[in-house]
Amino acid sequence: MKMAASAPSRVEPSSDQENGDNSLQIQQPFFLLHKAAPDKSDRKPSRRRITSSPPSPNKPGAAKSVDDDYSGDHSHEHLRMEAFQHAWSDVEATIEGVLRSIDSGTFEAIYSWISESFSIIRTHVSSGFSEISRSFPAAVESVSRRLFTGLVLTKNMELFDDLRTFEELGRFLRSHGCHVANLSSLDFLAKNGIGGCITSLLRQFLAASVDAPDMLTLSSWYNDQVNNDTPIILIIDDLERCCGSVLSDFILLLSEWVMKIPVVLIIGVATTPDRLRSIIQSEALQCLCPFKFNLGTLAERMDAVVEAILVKQCPGFFISHKVAVFMRNHFANHGGTMSSFIRALKIACVQHFSMEPFSFVLRGLIEEDIQRSKQGLLPKAIYNCASNISPCDRNKMDEEAVQKLVPEIIQLKRLHFLWSIVVLCLYEAGKYDKLHLLDLLCEALDPEVYASRVPGSFTQETRHTKASSPNDCFTHQHNFTMRKGGFISRAMRKVRDLAESHLLSLLKKWERHTADISEIHEKVKELQHMLKFEDCQQLKKDSMEIAKIHGLQSKSNLGRVTKRVNDKAASFLAYLIEKYMQPIECVPFHEIVCFKNVKKLQMALVGDSRRRIQVDLLESHKILSCSCCRNNNILLPSMHDTSIMYSSCQEHGDLVNLHDWYHSFKRILLFPNSKRRHKLKQSPLSKKQKFTDDSEKLSEVAIQSRFCRGVTELQIAGLLRMQSKRRPDFVQRVAFGL
Amino acid sequence: MEANDIDEEEEFGFSRNYFLAKESSGSSKKSTCKVSDIDVVDEQELVAAMSDIKPKHEKEIAALRDGYRSLYSQWVFELRCGLGMLFYGFGSKKALLEEFASTALTDYSVVVINGYLPSINIKQVVLGLAQVLWDLLKTKRKTPVASVSKMKEPSGSQSLDELILFLNGPWVEEKDFFMCIVVHNIDGPGLRDSDTQQCLARIAACSHTRIIASIDHVNVPLLWDKKMVDTQFNWYWHHTPTFEPYKYEGMFFPLILAHGNTTQSAKTATIVLQSLTPNAQSVFRVLAEHQMAHLNEEGMPISSLYSTCRERFLVSSQVTLNSHLTEFKDHELVKMRKNPEGEDCLHIPLPTEALEKLLKDIA
Repeated sequence: MKMAASAPSRVEPSSDQENGDNSLQIQQPFFLLHKAAPDKSDRKPSRRRITSSPPSPNKPGAAKSVDDDYSGDHSHEHLRMEAFQHAWSDVEATIEGVLRSIDSGTFEAIYSWISESFSIIRTHVSSGFSEISRSFPAAVESVSRRLFTGLVLTKNMELFDDLRTFEELGRFLRSHGCHVANLSSLDFLAKNGIGGCITSLLRQFLAASVDAPDMLTLSSWYNDQVNNDTPIILIIDDLERCCGSVLSDFILLLSEWVMKIPVVLIIGVATTPDRLRSIIQSEALQCLCPFKFNLGTLAERMDAVVEAILVKQCPGFFISHKVAVFMRNHFANHGGTMSSFIRALKIACVQHFSMEPFSFVLRGLIEEDIQRSKQGLLPKAIYNCASNISPCDRNKMDEEAVQKLVPEIIQLKRLHFLWSIVVLCLYEAGKYDKLHLLDLLCEALDPEVYASRVPGSFTQETRHTKASSPNDCFTHQHNFTMRKGGFISRAMRKVRDLAESHLLSLLKKWERHTADISEIHEKVKELQHMLKFEDCQQLKKDSMEIAKIHGLQSKSNLGRVTKRVNDKAASFLAYLIEKYMQPIECVPFHEIVCFKNVKKLQMALVGDSRRRIQVDLLESHKILSCSCCRNNNILLPSMHDTSIMYSSCQEHGDLVNLHDWYHSFKRILLFPNSKRRHKLKQSPLSKKQKFTDDSEKLSEVAIQSRFCRGVTELQIAGLLRMQSKRRPDFVQRVAFGL
Repeated sequence: MEANDIDEEEEFGFSRNYFLAKESSGSSKKSTCKVSDIDVVDEQELVAAMSDIKPKHEKEIAALRDGYRSLYSQWVFELRCGLGMLFYGFGSKKALLEEFASTALTDYSVVVINGYLPSINIKQVVLGLAQVLWDLLKTKRKTPVASVSKMKEPSGSQSLDELILFLNGPWVEEKDFFMCIVVHNIDGPGLRDSDTQQCLARIAACSHTRIIASIDHVNVPLLWDKKMVDTQFNWYWHHTPTFEPYKYEGMFFPLILAHGNTTQSAKTATIVLQSLTPNAQSVFRVLAEHQMAHLNEEGMPISSLYSTCRERFLVSSQVTLNSHLTEFKDHELVKMRKNPEGEDCLHIPLPTEALEKLLKDIA
């Protein structure tokens, strides 16, 4: 089979006519539609064929010239893409950093174990040098044939979530001088046998494909290496999906060669180490010298990632309360993996930058350039863009208007920073109650919780000039409605119930988080002093009274003192929530940075094909928005044929009698029901319609062909199963209900 | 919590609908009408008539397409952000995707895969893609010299893994350097198996490729696991019903009123039988007569067929009978079934009327 066309062969957009080329392309399994236009830098704008970028299409009367349109369009595209790439690469880098820091402890432990293992292998080698100097390994004693194996327990059934970790581990070990190859379950397929994994190994080490893969090639490669005083590490990321027999053979082979090629295995295990026994044959199992390592749990990773990207970071992109709730539910119900969460976030980010023009036009304002912009140095291009793409519901943006936005955005950033400090303080408290940050975040982003604080007037409080005095913060009575059993209330309750030592460490964490805001920081310090002071006093008192009073009583006194500080800490937290925890949605101009369109995100993330394709058919008139098929309950002959057929087949059970179905279809086409006839009599326009309908005398063959096409289309949509030989008169419905 | 409740309710509604449908077909009187009662026209005529079907709602369908056209620049943006695009909704999306590719993706090379064809060799497809990328890299001026020297021209002798590795590169650091792969019906019969889907997912995850695919089957998401969806295909779903006829996608589906129905099978059976020896025809007749006389039975046990045929001097040995039976089975004139005693029985998969007609025809 050859590629259909080496030269670009274009399919004309709207033509359905089958010219020679087109019909050839239809029958080709694949073909080249066109080649890329020459390098973008060489191209002139006029060569570009993209029709229109703004959502409001073609207005023929537009005054702008085509060139202007292009340059505007092009610069928007450029700004838009730049903004997205900037924001998303920030997010990706942060995620990588967070995950790396979680795994770094395990990686270090793995490396030191590898070093120890390697020195043991070397000891065996030096003691049996004569054996290994032969070109092929001889049978050596079983102890020196043992293969050091690190079992990395991922504690996550969706192992692909940890693929990144194994790649990272490979990079880490390479940076320490090891020779590393990453193997996956795809290299251990029964159909490829042991040759598959050796080929993959050689390809990674030798960076070239080898016709006859064998271990001798690897051995000679290793001996040729300058740094052959480091081990070869083979990382197999997915034990459970490997073919047991191939993996066993591979282990046996490696163990025979371990004296010549010092290999250390690292195997990712999603379940438990016991699983090894059921996958690997006992003979191979005996060759392994296993050692266990644990990776961080999914919950830990999620919390760390959410903290880094949704609370702490300010990449010019935030999510609203509804989006956060949706993402949490999606994670809990559908995804359950870090990758699905990141994908959801990426789609939200793409949608935000593609939908909200100010998100990319004012990027400079949102990010670190803020100081420069404050001095009135916003690039002129930004004004031009802002005035060009200002959405219709906003006023035309001019230089002055953009400049006015500067203080607003500075304020927005400040408020978000304060909000994030309170959320982190709450989260630190919630950790003692095993709360997850994502749950807490959803509540902290809820504008209703904030609105309950100052009913109907939260916009007036944005500058925080009228909040209660900082001096009252330890006796502050909160006057916002906390959700019963909500995560914020749980965190606050936990602060009240914390033991002294925990409270002390909590205050230390608060101190760290609030370091940048002196007024809060001072208060936290004050709380710490209070706790230490009262603690000391109580100790003195206790030592004096210890002889007199019963020990139990003194303990309860101490408890009471700590309780007082606990209450103060809780009141302080309530004060912080009330004063500073202003969700992003309650801040003016938040639309610029906050993504809110949860419905669009949901549509893009989980296409509900089963429901939507059925709705397309059952409500075709709504999607086509035609005037002729408006009547909801009656099947009209003007409706789409397949739509008529699918609607009429709903009246049947799971089996649809072909004969009956055909006749009902025919009836609908030929004799629209009485209600319609009655209606038609009323309007002169409809009379005309009726006349044309009746005049079209549908022949039997036309109806049958339409019926056949409808059945085929329903089959393609997977809504119908063809008749079986046993039931030749029936087809089977597959989908029941939406 | 609310979302959970809704999900549960939906699930309950779904199972309830299923059982209601089952019940309605069981309890109410099942229709006994037969397809053969429809006066089916000749298959050739049907096929000819299908190409002449007058399209409905042309204006509205064109308006739908216009609406999608205004989204092209947004789609390109999504593609450039590294997402895969998946189009679903009722109606053929072939014209839509090709128009999108040929008007909005001129900056990139575009390869189209016709997934609706029943036989596609995925290795050939990957090789073709690798060759396109090879051409692209050769013509690209800024390809680093070092990486060019490392490159090996893709050829059929390379394994699938090697070709995919080549597609993955990265040969060029530039983020915006990729080729687009348009897959019509990624759920098509030739691509539906798990290995092919895995391969497509790996292609989609390559650094120098972006995938644009359409699906039509309602249960397609079952083809993919979480890894494929979230990390490889990285789908961005687009609901784009077009209501355009499945002109090419439906080419390989048999017409319900023409192919596979009883008249057609009887016709085929007559032709096959007429080409067989008179003895073979007589053996078939014995079987048919037995089936018509014992309608409620599973079929005729082989042993009794043998004894009857021997009595009538139609066969001399079991071997001769077996050769006839093999011929029948090959042409799907008979089927094997087991009766309640566990005996192998022969059954002709045709209704009684068709059998009668058949016997008359071969008489």
